Amino acid sequence: MDPPLVNDSSFSPANPSSYTLSEIWPFPVNDAVRSGLRLAVNSTPSDKDVSTAAAAAAAAAAAGEESTVTDLTAGGWGGRKGRALNSEEDESSKMVSLSSSGNEVKDSGEKKRKLCGSENGNGDGSMRPEGETSSGGGSKATEQKNKPEPPKDYIHVRARRGQATDRHSLAERARREKISEKMTALQDIIPGCNKIIGKALVLDEIINYIQSLQRQVEFLSMKLEVVNSGPSTGPTIGVFPTGDLGTLPIDLHRNIYEQQEGNESRGSHPEWLHMQVDGSFNRTT
Amino acid sequence: MAFAENHINTDVPEKDVFALHFLQTLSNLSTQNPFSSPDKKSDRVKKIKKAAYVSMARAAGCTDRLWSRALLQRAAKRNNKIVRFPRRRKRVTWLRRRSNRRDPVEEAAAERLRNLVPGGGEMKTSKLMEETAHYIKCLSMQVKVMQCLVDGLSPK
Repeated sequence: MDPPLVNDSSFSPANPSSYTLSEIWPFPVNDAVRSGLRLAVNSTPSDKDVSTAAAAAAAAAAAGEESTVTDLTAGGWGGRKGRALNSEEDESSKMVSLSSSGNEVKDSGEKKRKLCGSENGNGDGSMRPEGETSSGGGSKATEQKNKPEPPKDYIHVRARRGQATDRHSLAERARREKISEKMTALQDIIPGCNKIIGKALVLDEIINYIQSLQRQVEFLSMKLEVVNSGPSTGPTIGVFPTGDLGTLPIDLHRNIYEQQEGNESRGSHPEWLHMQVDGSFNRTT
Repeated sequence: MAFAENHINTDVPEKDVFALHFLQTLSNLSTQNPFSSPDKKSDRVKKIKKAAYVSMARAAGCTDRLWSRALLQRAAKRNNKIVRFPRRRKRVTWLRRRSNRRDPVEEAAAERLRNLVPGGGEMKTSKLMEETAHYIKCLSMQVKVMQCLVDGLSPK
């Protein structure tokens, strides 16, 4: 694994806000590069973001610039973070490929520029039609890993390396991320779901939980009906007239509040599954 | 496309709201239908169960949530009552349905969820997840209320 051509020592410690743009990027800047850099600088850059932003800017600028200089910046940005990212390896491989296939870089760079200019107008078929691989699959070194530069009021979607960048897959990826984010929110609600990994199992757990809750409602309504159907059939109540749940005394309300803590401390099985079988019987009979 | 909200709001009212609604519904139930009527036991159970769901839907915020709206509409339809809600429900054509939920990996489980959560047939999958979360919270709250009620009413 070759170290990148440029490592940390070759750059003065970076404080992007302290330099003017011309210092950092001494090349003619077009819109794509500027917006790419702006996005990289403004948002709190994570590792991947910075590297992909730089890659985007580098790719866009590659059409007009010398490829070696682009390698420099790409390597610099990528190498600044000391983590063993995939992007680091990809940077080196990308640098190799950039220098070797300069023409191809320029072509696709121009293509990229056109794409950025038209704000990802259409996912063209000439782009790599490969499916979305995870960020680890930066296999095609000759691909330009570009990041879309949507205007500010769009949902910011970061395209990771090795993923197709046409409009549909981006939208789908954003949608999928939304769904997984909501599923993690669901996981927090359901007890015992944190340990399960894998969407399908989590969803199974969720479905079981809902079913058990619904069964509990049914069971409790049966119990309520028994309780309420009068002293002759149900256990004797004595205090309340038959079938008149509307005039419950205040104590019952207080009972409802106090019972909550009692329930939670008593029936504190970590798995809700037990509550249905054991807890109810213990408490009410 | 507007900015996606970062945090999903799944707040659920406190227990007393649920308890209040449930007791009100139950008292309505008992006043409108004297219990000496010859209803079979299963009918009474069903009525109580329906009252539980309806009160839960009302307590959770009638119109704020899709599932509560669907639940109330379904219950009202059985009573031959027409319930109108101010906000129009989004009609999803078949074609758009296809592009709405495209991921086949989680589709099977999402289908099951749709069957369970009321009103789930028409939602996009992301919306379904939100509704599920809220629904689960409300359901658990309702279960707690009912449990306390049963405990309070049964003889010590």
